[in-house]
Amino acid sequence: MKFLPKRILRVNMSKLETSFEDFPVDYAALGGRALTSTIVSKEVDPTCHPLGPNNKLVFAPGIVTGTVAPTSGRISVGGKSPLTGGIKEANAGTNFAQRLARMQISAIIVEGQPKGDDYHMLKVSMDKIEFVNANKHIGKGLYEVYKDLFKGFGNKVSICACGIAGELMGAASGICFNDPEGLPSRYAGRGGLGAVMASKGLKFIVIDDTGAPGVEIKNKELFDQGREKLRKALAEHDVTKPDGALASYGTAVLVNIINEAGGLPQKNFSSGQDDRSANISGEKKAEEIEKRGGTRPHHCSPGCVIRCSEVWTKPGGKDPVGVLEYESVWSLGANCSIYDLDTIGELNRACNDLGLDTIEAGDTIAVAMEGGMVKFGDGKGALKLMDEIQKKTPTGRILANGCAFTGQAFGVTRVPVVKGQGLPAYDPRSIKGIGVTYATTPMGADHTAGYAIATEIMGVGGEADPRDTNKSELSRNLQVATAYLDSTGYCLFTAFAVLDIPEGLEGMIQSINGVLGTEVDLTELGMKVITTERNFNKATGFTVADDRLPEFLRQEPVAPYNEVFDVPDEELDKVWGA
Amino acid sequence: MAILVKFFGDLAKKVSHKESSIESPFNLKIESQGIEYVVDILKKYSIEKSETSHIFVNGGYAGFKKKVKDGDRVGIFPKNMGLLYKWYFTRHEDD
Repeated sequence: MKFLPKRILRVNMSKLETSFEDFPVDYAALGGRALTSTIVSKEVDPTCHPLGPNNKLVFAPGIVTGTVAPTSGRISVGGKSPLTGGIKEANAGTNFAQRLARMQISAIIVEGQPKGDDYHMLKVSMDKIEFVNANKHIGKGLYEVYKDLFKGFGNKVSICACGIAGELMGAASGICFNDPEGLPSRYAGRGGLGAVMASKGLKFIVIDDTGAPGVEIKNKELFDQGREKLRKALAEHDVTKPDGALASYGTAVLVNIINEAGGLPQKNFSSGQDDRSANISGEKKAEEIEKRGGTRPHHCSPGCVIRCSEVWTKPGGKDPVGVLEYESVWSLGANCSIYDLDTIGELNRACNDLGLDTIEAGDTIAVAMEGGMVKFGDGKGALKLMDEIQKKTPTGRILANGCAFTGQAFGVTRVPVVKGQGLPAYDPRSIKGIGVTYATTPMGADHTAGYAIATEIMGVGGEADPRDTNKSELSRNLQVATAYLDSTGYCLFTAFAVLDIPEGLEGMIQSINGVLGTEVDLTELGMKVITTERNFNKATGFTVADDRLPEFLRQEPVAPYNEVFDVPDEELDKVWGA
Repeated sequence: MAILVKFFGDLAKKVSHKESSIESPFNLKIESQGIEYVVDILKKYSIEKSETSHIFVNGGYAGFKKKVKDGDRVGIFPKNMGLLYKWYFTRHEDD
């Protein structure tokens, strides 16, 4: 195969033009989140409107993505967030990432804004790049659209899309990628990047990597040594091994565990435990999937050895939805007092269909319930709220803008957000370290930004008392390590094995250095990414006052163990030395 | 008054003797007589320590020697629901 250097694909939506650029030397050791955040920081005016012509949307596969390194099919998407007003990185596991990387495209930068209301599809292959009018797909659900597109293009392409929520410029919209079955179920969900994509008149990106040269690996021997060590560690570790917790039950293995810890938020964060949660647990879900003929375990992208994913279906194995993640089961379930997996499955289907982030959607529904729009526990009512978005009604437009916006619209004061972004599935009053991460990550409330749960509940990478308030160092270290991991292309779940097994970490580093042909310092890269993101946020006007949890979490004790979030502000400010 | 013990996953199968379907958790209210520590509950149901992973007593992460009493809630998870750290992980063996 002829050598092809890494390159950047720049897409000008104002002119409907594309061009390839050389991959800058300065970016040589960057990928994934490090690359998207660096490009956004360099090229986007922090004061721009997130949905205007001066924002940019950046897609970047990780450093090892597209190689045979295990569990490395991640793509990072970045831009200025319409939800938080700050910098955003959201990532997903999908073969879209791998195809892009194999074409030696290290980033796609989408910029500008066309005049008029047309939507476009960008089709990228090795010998041709073209825009195709996509107006016929406006207002349609992504399940139908993905089916049509794969029928037309065949199954050797990958597709990225924004949905109806994006068309509404909704700040709760995500960016959708396909799973291996072609279902629109893998999301770079957080922060409203679906609306940024839609604001540029870009409805789809279709990637065809036929004839792609593959990822250049500078030191193959080192890479091979490293990936084998990592594979072995993943195969051995209790969490990631083939019959481990994630493969057996999926991420929803956490439902019963976090409920026992008193940290599974119920009914819009009014309690941390409800025994009805057992009806929506990972055990229950795995049993139902087996009974129905769904798929479990399942990989989100080829080469994943952890296989935490699945395909949830209706009874009888009909109408596959895709994966029901822990976060989605919680947000659309327990957080709305809905304890029925079929209803949660349909709510998750609606989110995928509309192009909505499931976490933000669940937080939004719960706040709407608190505001009296429908009753807590009313699954049919919740689905009707999704219909409002589908029909693009004024109510739907409010809901599509997320939890904070909906809280304001309906006069709700108990609104679980940080920097405008809805809280994920761990109550920070019971598990305080995750609260420190929610408060201080540049991303807004985001559990993945520094997975303090890993140490607090799971016992991975040392241990910590969940109710101890001295968490700044723990959160900082995890945020820095996560920023590094998000840049590599490796899935966050590889952290379970590499934090515990020294050879696994060594292997991961060797595989990365093998691809790059240079040495990358974990802490240095992670810290640089966070600093870049924090500087962008400062330039948009963020201060330490934005690094705080909402008032009700600091004042309202959560049942059953009556904890409040009592980490002092000084401890929060110590995370980044503000 | 009794101790509420919740067995999850494969431990629910084992204690309930139901192999075909998991009722997880399988809940039992047990008399506290003869039960001083978490480990006494395991012995009562012939569960080896190595079969377990996470243990919670009233929401707190607990070890085998955690004392238990009437009114407590004890959650016991099996090995394959464990997200435990092999080398460095040590439980709080309080009391």
